[in-house]
Amino acid sequence: MKPKIAFFDFASCEGCQLAILNVEDALLDLLERVDIVEFREALSEKAPRYDIAFIEGSIHREEDADRLRDIRARSRVLVALGACAAIGNVQARSNATAPAVNLARVYGEEARDRVQTDPDHWPLWAHTRVRPISDVVEVDYYLRGCPVVPAEFVKLVTALIAGSEPRFAREPVCTECKRAGNLCVFARGETCLGQVTWAGCGAICVTQGYRCDGCRGLLPGANLEAHRQILRDAGLDDATIDDRYDLFCSAQRQPQQRRGAGPGGHAR
Amino acid sequence: MRRAIVATEEATLAWIAGLANERLVDFPQTGPAGGLRFARTSPDDRLTFADYRPTVLPPGKTFAPANEVLFTFAHQADGSFRATPIIDRRPRVLAGVRPCDLAAIALMDHVNRDGDHPDPHYLARREATTIVAYRCSKPCSDRCFCAAVGSLDSDEGADILLTPVDDALLAEARTPTGEALMADLDGTPVDDPAPLVARHRAARPQPFGRQLPGSPDDLPAALERSWSSPLWETHTARCLSCGTCNLVCPTCYCFDTHDEVDLADPNEGHRCRDWDSCMLPEFAVVADGHDFRPTVASRQRHRVKRKFEYLQQKFDSRPFCVGCGRCGAQCTADIDIFDIASDVLKQHGGTP
Repeated sequence: MKPKIAFFDFASCEGCQLAILNVEDALLDLLERVDIVEFREALSEKAPRYDIAFIEGSIHREEDADRLRDIRARSRVLVALGACAAIGNVQARSNATAPAVNLARVYGEEARDRVQTDPDHWPLWAHTRVRPISDVVEVDYYLRGCPVVPAEFVKLVTALIAGSEPRFAREPVCTECKRAGNLCVFARGETCLGQVTWAGCGAICVTQGYRCDGCRGLLPGANLEAHRQILRDAGLDDATIDDRYDLFCSAQRQPQQRRGAGPGGHAR
Repeated sequence: MRRAIVATEEATLAWIAGLANERLVDFPQTGPAGGLRFARTSPDDRLTFADYRPTVLPPGKTFAPANEVLFTFAHQADGSFRATPIIDRRPRVLAGVRPCDLAAIALMDHVNRDGDHPDPHYLARREATTIVAYRCSKPCSDRCFCAAVGSLDSDEGADILLTPVDDALLAEARTPTGEALMADLDGTPVDDPAPLVARHRAARPQPFGRQLPGSPDDLPAALERSWSSPLWETHTARCLSCGTCNLVCPTCYCFDTHDEVDLADPNEGHRCRDWDSCMLPEFAVVADGHDFRPTVASRQRHRVKRKFEYLQQKFDSRPFCVGCGRCGAQCTADIDIFDIASDVLKQHGGTP
């Protein structure tokens, strides 16, 4: 029997699912080997059990956390698909301010006041805090990036089907950037987060002439103190440096708030 | 004696570009996002020897590229196993190679040909490559210290050696392959190239590039004595363990391998080889999680000892650091092996 694969989305742009639909070279081979049983971007079938569940998006409301726990309970392997699920992504920056302040800033004070007097008016008000999915459930594998790297998706699925352990190098973007022969962004007089960011993207942004903004997340054990000093030496002030780290990785930088995985969940 | 001629720089560059009509030719050129790289040329490219600074990656790395497939494999229906090596024997010209990089290629030839595990993938590419080297008239960057480690006058491994003399180039064929390739280069024949080489050397700045505070011959012993020195911590406080110093080093050759199976048929796949780096935290982690070099300082010490002690003793050779300056120049934390070697000599050199 072919493994059943499912895709679920929470708070996200669904760009990672689209990125996967774009792996046209591998898609037909993939469909030969697996059954895709849930994929809102492409079909609407339902199944009770999943061999591999891909979770896109961050968790904002308790009802989302409950839905995620239910998926976890029905899945053999659960994979975080992209930066929102893996690290909370840009939306986690909203954790730094009170929900009411965010609501007023985005939708206006009138909306805020109305929601506060009439809680049923807007279900989004149930929003509590932006969490990566690992704050709610145990995660077996991470496909990082905004969006994910399609080749990494194919590599993971291939390995899981073959029963081998997929290999994702725990090293910074610099390694792939050097293998690509790129001149260092700092040597161009600019700044970069590549030294402290998980590799796997092939340093695509630097290779295309931009810099690394860290969408794949901060590498565990990275020497952030030294990196901050290097950014200071390159002319950035501390507020700018915090902004740069927080663009994608603010949830990784709020460890004190990352407690309280829900019942049955595992904080990792 | 092999052919030696004096040619104009213009004629020489046109000749190198013209070689691309019939062969693969790599020459230092500016990459899309800046920085020099040895890149494939076409006959119309306008090549130049001017404004040379070290290429991001050294040319010798092309003999064992960053990511390569070593062989494909298949478990066959009858139970047998088939592996098909992938060997690249395409003839190629590597032109504009500087003496430090030439010295590094000679060391890598030694490692890959005479070491414990000859590497057929490296050797096939190497043997199919003709090297046109170019001697330096001045240090290529303020990080250069090739003269201090004795690689400024390296010429081993060159098929053709170009030496700037006044406004022209002395071109010397060093091998039969070089001789054949040089047939299309027009110039004035030279009976004795030695006086011209002497003139080139006399015109070079003295001292040439940075100088160590002692002899590199003292480094192996000084490094032995430096094992518990606090200098390893001082020099690595800012280290990001990003691996850049290894990956841009012309004599770093460590790699990792892994198998990729095909999605369409998991009985088939290929074995991949990628450059590895001993500065990465997981490099020395072995089964059961033990880590032989858990601290940045221990990894840095290992790297420097590889360059100035372990490998030269293992292969009875010159130092494996050729003084190209790439690792220091490309380290965003400004950690320079020249500074480390200098401190090792200052603090632990002298007579034991």
